[in-house]
Amino acid sequence: MIKPITESKIINNHFKRVISDDTFAAKTIVVCSVLKDVFAYSVRYKTTMENKKIPEKRRPFVAAMDLASGAVTAIAQIVVGFAIANPKFQNKLWDKLFKGIEFKNISLAKKSFATIVALIGSGVITERVLVPLIATPVAAKIEKKFFKQEDPQTYSNYPFSSKKHSAFKNFTKLQKKQQAAEKK
Amino acid sequence: MRVQPVKFNQRMARSLEKFSDQGGEKIANYINAAGKFAIAPLMILYNPFTKESKENKKWAAIKQPVEAVVTILAQLVSLNVLYKGVDKLAEKGKLQFQLVKDAIKDNSKIPASIMETAGNNTEKALKLLDETCVGIFKDRIGTILTIAMFVPVLALSNRIFPKIADILVKDNDEK
Repeated sequence: MIKPITESKIINNHFKRVISDDTFAAKTIVVCSVLKDVFAYSVRYKTTMENKKIPEKRRPFVAAMDLASGAVTAIAQIVVGFAIANPKFQNKLWDKLFKGIEFKNISLAKKSFATIVALIGSGVITERVLVPLIATPVAAKIEKKFFKQEDPQTYSNYPFSSKKHSAFKNFTKLQKKQQAAEKK
Repeated sequence: MRVQPVKFNQRMARSLEKFSDQGGEKIANYINAAGKFAIAPLMILYNPFTKESKENKKWAAIKQPVEAVVTILAQLVSLNVLYKGVDKLAEKGKLQFQLVKDAIKDNSKIPASIMETAGNNTEKALKLLDETCVGIFKDRIGTILTIAMFVPVLALSNRIFPKIADILVKDNDEK
């Protein structure tokens, strides 16, 4: 089971590139981080929609926030992470911070530095500062468009989902009650 | 930019070396959890560009640190178990990558950066290459494990966070 992995050309070429190219190593970690985020936000969005422990009136905004954050974070992190991983930027920053300082293993330290700086830039500053700034108004717009409509029949589902949101459910309940009352 | 005093930079350099031993996946998880715990809630609460109700923002904000703590704990436990398993396989010699096998047969195939780090000592370089390959392998399968862990971790934090939010957010709105 392990042999096909250890002997795989793709895996060995990938390892070779990660070892000899610090920029590629940093970019790979950024991509892995983005993949995790995209998956996490998709799951989060789905579980929020179905989480009955969140009051119905709060659920649409929490769900819209998850959806907007996922989309904005993927694009912004790739752009910022790749820009920071750029060797020119890395070398300038390294020289300013560590010129003349001795390292036990300078190539490993440089690789880790590139990875950490790219991750802080993309995963902390971009994802945590820039993305919420952009995603919160986007979420409010999603909420307004999909959840706070005047005619609930126009938008019956959560975006990208077959799940009906609370406004529609209440609307159908109300309609059924009205129809039953009319019949009587 | 003004250069920091040498002592501070020296300390930063030592921390960098210490941090490097943790491996890329763990570093990514630490940074992600720290940002989510400390910065994400503030950004949701004090975002000047939204007119969402305070209670709604508080609910969305409280989710962040709860999720950060649950996620990092679960990730560290699961990654440690996985990495120990990989180390055992490597110790038994069952995890030797083609790149290392080729380098053993032909020493000129040892990557230059590895050779340089090993001080041009072939034996040391081969050992370092083997360790590095196992390290990268750990990072990649660590990412897959982290992704797989999201479903149970989010289910757990989704159970915990409404309870905490309920205590912290006094809901004056009509339910």
